Amino acid sequence: MQYSQKVLDHFMHPHNVGKMENPDAVATEGSPACGDQVTVYLKVDEETKVIEDISFLSYGCASNIATASIITDLAKGKNLDEAKQITWRDAMEALDGLPPVKVHCSVLAADTLLTAISNYEIAHGLKEVPNFSKDTILEELKKIIYPKVGEDIVSLKMVKYVGLTDGEVLIDLNIMSFDQWRDNIAEEIREHLEKYPEVKHIQINFP
Amino acid sequence: MNPGRIYLDNCITTRPDPEVLQAMQPYFGEKFWYPGSFISTGEAINDDLKRFSGIVADSIGASEAELHFCSGGTLANNMAIKGLAAAYGKESKHIIVSVVDYPDLLTNAAYLEKQGFEVSYLSANEEGFVNLQELQSAIRSDTIMFMTTAVNHVVGTVQPLAEIKAILNTADHKIYFHVDAGQAYGKIALNVDELGVDTMAISAHKIHGPQGVGALYQRSDVKLGQIIHGVKRVDNLQTGGLNIALIAGFAKAVQLTFADLNGTISNLRAMSNYLLSTLEANIPEIELNGPRGDKRAPHNINVSISYIEGEAITMMLDASGITVATGSACASQGLKANYVLMAMGKNHVQSHGSMKFTLSKYTTKAEIDETVAALANITTELRKRSPLYNATHKEK
Repeated sequence: MQYSQKVLDHFMHPHNVGKMENPDAVATEGSPACGDQVTVYLKVDEETKVIEDISFLSYGCASNIATASIITDLAKGKNLDEAKQITWRDAMEALDGLPPVKVHCSVLAADTLLTAISNYEIAHGLKEVPNFSKDTILEELKKIIYPKVGEDIVSLKMVKYVGLTDGEVLIDLNIMSFDQWRDNIAEEIREHLEKYPEVKHIQINFP
Repeated sequence: MNPGRIYLDNCITTRPDPEVLQAMQPYFGEKFWYPGSFISTGEAINDDLKRFSGIVADSIGASEAELHFCSGGTLANNMAIKGLAAAYGKESKHIIVSVVDYPDLLTNAAYLEKQGFEVSYLSANEEGFVNLQELQSAIRSDTIMFMTTAVNHVVGTVQPLAEIKAILNTADHKIYFHVDAGQAYGKIALNVDELGVDTMAISAHKIHGPQGVGALYQRSDVKLGQIIHGVKRVDNLQTGGLNIALIAGFAKAVQLTFADLNGTISNLRAMSNYLLSTLEANIPEIELNGPRGDKRAPHNINVSISYIEGEAITMMLDASGITVATGSACASQGLKANYVLMAMGKNHVQSHGSMKFTLSKYTTKAEIDETVAALANITTELRKRSPLYNATHKEK
């Protein structure tokens, strides 16, 4: 599958790109090791909680830049509660779709926006720092896309079991040894979970 | 010669020379016959085929009888590696290869591992040279084969084939030496007798010949087990039909390339030196991957551009009408960093930001100037967007 014209437009001429001076909140997700990293900056009206200005930086491929561009378009002018509802599926739809192998880019962009909003809320006393729990792990697993079909591994019922005891994470995946994406997925799960200081060890099992 | 498009991905495939097209033409039409005996049409094709075979064999210092035409480099590699394993691997089952070799070699090694062979994988140094000390100590009494990629397909490193052969010769038994010369053929001098190789794979479409034809060199005293069984038309190893038109095109491409091989090489070298110096003069924080100078193939320049990602660069260059390749994971179907660069000790960012330019006889200085100018603009634009660049560079 090729990139849509909309993806190409947003890649060649991205909206809201650039570093923001004195942002009210900022978040960076991804890592150079995975080949993509996005930073989102927010300016928020303290009264109305409307996102007045938003910008991004992206280290990554064309779809990474395009999804960051569209996600900032979608969030601009919305209040924080509305903006929290924006998902990677919205970003994909607004771009007329993405090749399955590139869907994870839209997840990264949506995720970074969400983290920036969360950082704002925590800094302004609007919410507590969330406790790390099994739900946190499940939420992270929902961000892992199976590249062959462009759906997350939880929706695809590839996650059989999630356990958490004293920082020891245990995940059973229903992915066979001959699956060419098995190692990619395991690596991505580690990258998503290792950023939590609560996680001491990650054990991923396959059939 | 390149109307409207700058093509710098010649390690994948090259533009066929117009003379090659002309040489193939008769075999698509009036000379459509197949080789055969005692019949004038068959004999005429026999003669042509012998002549083409002689031309190609001559380019590597081989004799016409030592050459098997086939569909390309991958089939030639398969016929050699599986063929050597079948012929000499009944008792002894140890094979040596390196981690930076071409996928044809590595996938065949992996296949043979499953068939009960043991494979030693040699490491490579930061310039992509195979570790020869490891080769020396990897040799065992049951080693039957060492295989290598004469010119590395990613960074253009020219492996020291003569030194390798000298090490193989220190063994107290014969170790068969297979060379994949896909990227080397027509870019460095290759004489099978001087190098002492036993089997070698070459391909036409890397030297302005047609796609879909290559050849396997098999030293006359080397046995190869048959891996493709079928009707014997011309060749006892590569059974089935042959595409005479493509072989005619192959021979013509060889004649054009080898009429003045030294001239071909020094033109490519001058052009790639110019490309590298222009890149280094116009793009800050850029780094050459692989060796500098004549330990590198003359047509290959591979650089890592810091802070930005190769698929994005490639697509922007594509929009400017320029075709190049990248080692970025994002541009690969498997989403994996380039294994050659990683084996050379590069990090993920260097791999994702790697760009491979491979030149041909059609590449002009004007095209290089245009490419570097476009790349300089693209680099500035993508760095503006990059969090990695912004984190380390204050705005002026």
